[in-house]
Amino acid sequence: MSYPLVRKRVIDWLDDQYHFGDAEKLIRNDEASFLDGGVLDSLGFVQLCLFLEKTYRFKIDRKSLTRENFDSLGKIVRYVIGHKDFKGAA
Amino acid sequence: MSLSEVEFAYFFPAFFLLYWVLPRRAAVQNWALCAGSLFFYATWNLKLVPLFVASTLVDFAILRGFEKFAAPQDGSPLPTDERNQKRRRALLTLGIVHNLTALAAFKYAGFFADSFNQAFGTSLPVLRLALPVGLSFYTMGRIGVLIDTYYERLTPVRSLGVWFSFVSFFPQLIAGPIGRGSELFEQYENPRKLTADAFLKAAFELATGFVLKVYIAAQVGTELVDPVFAAPGTFTRKAHLLAVVGYAGQVFADFAGYSLIAIGVGRLLGITLPDNFQFPFLSKSLPEVWRRWHMTLNRWLFDYIYGPMVTGDSFMRGRIGAGFLVVMVASGLWHGAAFTYLLWGLLHGLGLLAHHRYDLAYKGLCRKNRVWVERRRSTFYQVAGWMVTTVFFILTLIPFRAPTLAAAGKFARGLWAGGNLPNPPGTFHPYLALLLVVIYHVGALPVFEGFRKRASATPLAMKGLALGAVIVFLMLFAPVGAGTFIYAQF
Repeated sequence: MSYPLVRKRVIDWLDDQYHFGDAEKLIRNDEASFLDGGVLDSLGFVQLCLFLEKTYRFKIDRKSLTRENFDSLGKIVRYVIGHKDFKGAA
Repeated sequence: MSLSEVEFAYFFPAFFLLYWVLPRRAAVQNWALCAGSLFFYATWNLKLVPLFVASTLVDFAILRGFEKFAAPQDGSPLPTDERNQKRRRALLTLGIVHNLTALAAFKYAGFFADSFNQAFGTSLPVLRLALPVGLSFYTMGRIGVLIDTYYERLTPVRSLGVWFSFVSFFPQLIAGPIGRGSELFEQYENPRKLTADAFLKAAFELATGFVLKVYIAAQVGTELVDPVFAAPGTFTRKAHLLAVVGYAGQVFADFAGYSLIAIGVGRLLGITLPDNFQFPFLSKSLPEVWRRWHMTLNRWLFDYIYGPMVTGDSFMRGRIGAGFLVVMVASGLWHGAAFTYLLWGLLHGLGLLAHHRYDLAYKGLCRKNRVWVERRRSTFYQVAGWMVTTVFFILTLIPFRAPTLAAAGKFARGLWAGGNLPNPPGTFHPYLALLLVVIYHVGALPVFEGFRKRASATPLAMKGLALGAVIVFLMLFAPVGAGTFIYAQF
């Protein structure tokens, strides 16, 4: 149940910050690389991490803070719902 | 000995043959690489070899310490966990301090003492030590591995041969590309082999690299750039303009060419190094420039300084714009201990900050009306973005190239007012060289994708002919010994 809600939240953020309604179209599938697909650049990853920490009120530990962990929609959503301090999709 | 010098043409074929006749075992290949790399390093400065070896061993001991004091893999808390964590943190601090101390002593001590003396009229001793070759580059590679291992993003390296090969690999020792443990350790841990495809790819990388480095950079540098920067303000405006545009072409060709040679040589030894340049003069914004220019340095700065700084718990958290200033000033100082590099970094930090503010404002318009999204995609917007970015990038190269701030100011005035001396007399070669830089970039535009595909599908014999033509061209027109390697000084 959390997956679609978190997914929508991330898509909304991508639309609000970068793609203005085209994010869903740009992401061909949930496992496609954000970097390769031009969905998000390295600076965008930093802003995405800040957004996730603020929205879900958890801390992304330095061990997980690699581009590889946040390089696709599926990876991001799984990271969020798998986080030990995740309290549910707001 | 540098990768583009004649001596290397004697050293490398001999090493290449020896490397591939040895048993194809990772350990044997690694120790062969270490021996070759130490020989290569010793040709620059024999006296510094013990220091290089000692600091590499200290880092290896620290990396082993990270594993010794690692947290239990099953996650079960042990009484020693907290103490181990403190030990790991102490080891990381030691590793970073020991690496930065070498950098500070050799590269920055003289600059800071000199600046302090000038500012406060003191007479601190000013150290003028010879900079160990590649120090700025391999220091970053080592610190990156220390940080990644500390945060358990990387498995601690266990083999001294792997670690020594990673640190000393001669194609990347002098000027990068700055590799990462995550992309290179595995390659050193496994036996390497050389395929026909890799050989051909390396041959083209070497050919392109040599044309960029040995022909283009040298021709443009000696004929168009150096005379005008040596006497700024005395030449005409046109000469100043050609000099600064020429310098943009020169510094690109010099370093992108060298990087391609390093990548090609690495590939011939079975090691795939990361890309360092991706057609930077096609960039349509400043952030894009830094994703395409000296990519391995910039990803290091953004991943190990910028990211932790703006996502950490300090007052810099969330300060995206201020983070740009800090990281670009750090980039300026990395390039050299001089106020000219500091100014260059500051200008780029301010440029990124201005772009960030503009981008925020533009996004506000996009949220209100989608017509702004379409406008941003228009050809006019893209071309305008490219022009602003390119002009800014080229003009900021004035302090980067000028020896002092006063000379940079004089050059900028010369660009505006000009002097009486006409263009330095010369041949058509620097203009042809600049045209080749333009062609190199234009050929990478999406509109030429079909042509690129057809070119890559040409028969092997044709490719061989093309390579032969490049070699003949270089033998006829490359000004042997005329060029310098700009990035070797960093």
